[in-house]
Amino acid sequence: MKVYVLSQKKWIDLLNEIIAHCQVYAPLKKENSVDFIKVTAENSDTIYYDGNTPVTPLKAFFTPVKENVVNLKEPQQRVVIGVPNCDLAALDLMDNIYINEDYIDPCYKQNRERTIIFGKDCFQYKDTCHCTVYGIKPFIEKNCDIAMSVFEENFYLIPMNERGEEFLKKQKIDFGDPKDSLPEKLREQRDKVVDKLQEQNRELPDEKETRKGIEKSEEKLWKDYAATCVSCGACSFICPTCHCFLLIDRDNFEKVKNWDVCQFPGFARVAAGEDPLKPLHERFKYRYLCKYIYKPDMFKAIACTGCGRCIDTCIGKIDKNEVIKEACKQG
Amino acid sequence: MQEKNIYKPLKAKIVEVIDESPMIKTFVLVPEEEFSFKTGQFIELTVDGLGEAPFTPSSSPLVSDQLEVTIMKAGYITEIMHKMKPGEYMGIRGPYGRGYPVEDYYDKEVLILGGGCGFAPIRSLLYNLKAVSDKLRKVTFCYGSKTPVDCIYKPYISELRATPKFEVYRSVDKGDESWTEKVGVVTVLLDDVELDIPNSVAVVCGPPIMMKFGTFKLLEMGYPEDKIYLSMEKNMSCGLGKCGHCAMGDYFVCKDGPVFTYNEIKNHPHIWM
Repeated sequence: MKVYVLSQKKWIDLLNEIIAHCQVYAPLKKENSVDFIKVTAENSDTIYYDGNTPVTPLKAFFTPVKENVVNLKEPQQRVVIGVPNCDLAALDLMDNIYINEDYIDPCYKQNRERTIIFGKDCFQYKDTCHCTVYGIKPFIEKNCDIAMSVFEENFYLIPMNERGEEFLKKQKIDFGDPKDSLPEKLREQRDKVVDKLQEQNRELPDEKETRKGIEKSEEKLWKDYAATCVSCGACSFICPTCHCFLLIDRDNFEKVKNWDVCQFPGFARVAAGEDPLKPLHERFKYRYLCKYIYKPDMFKAIACTGCGRCIDTCIGKIDKNEVIKEACKQG
Repeated sequence: MQEKNIYKPLKAKIVEVIDESPMIKTFVLVPEEEFSFKTGQFIELTVDGLGEAPFTPSSSPLVSDQLEVTIMKAGYITEIMHKMKPGEYMGIRGPYGRGYPVEDYYDKEVLILGGGCGFAPIRSLLYNLKAVSDKLRKVTFCYGSKTPVDCIYKPYISELRATPKFEVYRSVDKGDESWTEKVGVVTVLLDDVELDIPNSVAVVCGPPIMMKFGTFKLLEMGYPEDKIYLSMEKNMSCGLGKCGHCAMGDYFVCKDGPVFTYNEIKNHPHIWM
């Protein structure tokens, strides 16, 4: 392992150099939340390195809300800094769906290839964060080019692959001699966060128990919890693993890929009008089935990484984890 | 871009439009590049700038310079398609999915149960079966439609009836003076046909309700679950197993189907919707 240790000043120098030649996005404060925003020389000192999960999931960089998928743009390199591990863990599933042996989505592939990802350690977390329940760590394990830890005034950068290594080498910064491990204190801090997250979620069933709970649950549970659902689809839009879309036609046989959501009425309606997901509570339940049963069966990957965004965002105040606890209680 | 863009349609010129019934038309299309498909696979058909929908071609998979698509007027985009004329262009993406495993039908009898516009994919299959009829024992086709005017492919029915090894039986839900064949839902035809069930496979294609009762009847008659082939209808957008619309449990119908054997899907949710 190569660990480059940068002072804050050196990191800012590096950042400014990257900004000078490519687009950079990082978590910045936006009113009461934190979101991936384009970094400029003016706002680069306000990046929020250690804090709440950005509102927008990483997937938006690879499969944007709207994208013309026939008339592709010339790819330009860009950098995303400060990606939490819940978003990186989601790439196992997303890559499997968009770039697989059957069909390769040229837009997703191009967007993946042109993006250098700096993952980050989560030393802060929200009360809805629950990655550890599904075996995901609140620090970088894989799926990024450079792992970044910001700890006690220092920036620790670990190239995670050849691409990350090359990217750093290209910069005109003296990184100094790399260390061969992260400081003991930093690793202890990571362990503390893991412990705290486990404590915070000690009553939340893991993915196996959740699956059983959903399988055995009764219809009434879904009807009860769906009572305040308004089918707005926010839970799916901000989910790092929800991948559904609709192709919209444009002139000259061009097509635009638009995010679509199973929570919307008519999502599964066929020509003659029949609709397997017509009742709202069926659609509501479908999302849980998809995440905890269907996707694991199809892709051997869980479709919830515990980011907690769906709970944060629900205007019906539906807490996904409460639903799961209740389902498991019934089961 | 190294790979072919999976979202880009191939332009195809409409060379003929055939009225099959008041609600159903067949479009004969000539694609700008060679295009081939296996019987039972489907395509996404685009009206430039307005929308697209999935259809299984109704023509022979052995013909690659043109294809036919039979379309029932059922919604927004099919209504627009029905107004299109020869000389205009449509877009084709595909072919997608898993079609009928015709080689698995060799040395067997094939019973085909079709309803309404479900005859479209079946006609493609029948063309294919006719081409390999020396390898088949017999093909029995039972077709049901609402009324005599809704019966499609009338000239083809006559052609099929004159073909050795092929038998055709038809029923309508509601007959009229001109109708000399059976009256009743399509499953009533099964009471009269002679079948060697242990050496037979069954194919069902039609509206969901007909597929359901058709399948149940076949099971009752003794057809094994893995010898009943169903062509499933789902909402589809991409056709590539990515957009999520056609998910049926742990299957994407577009990629893993649309043709399934009953045992593959019997425990899946919403198979009859």
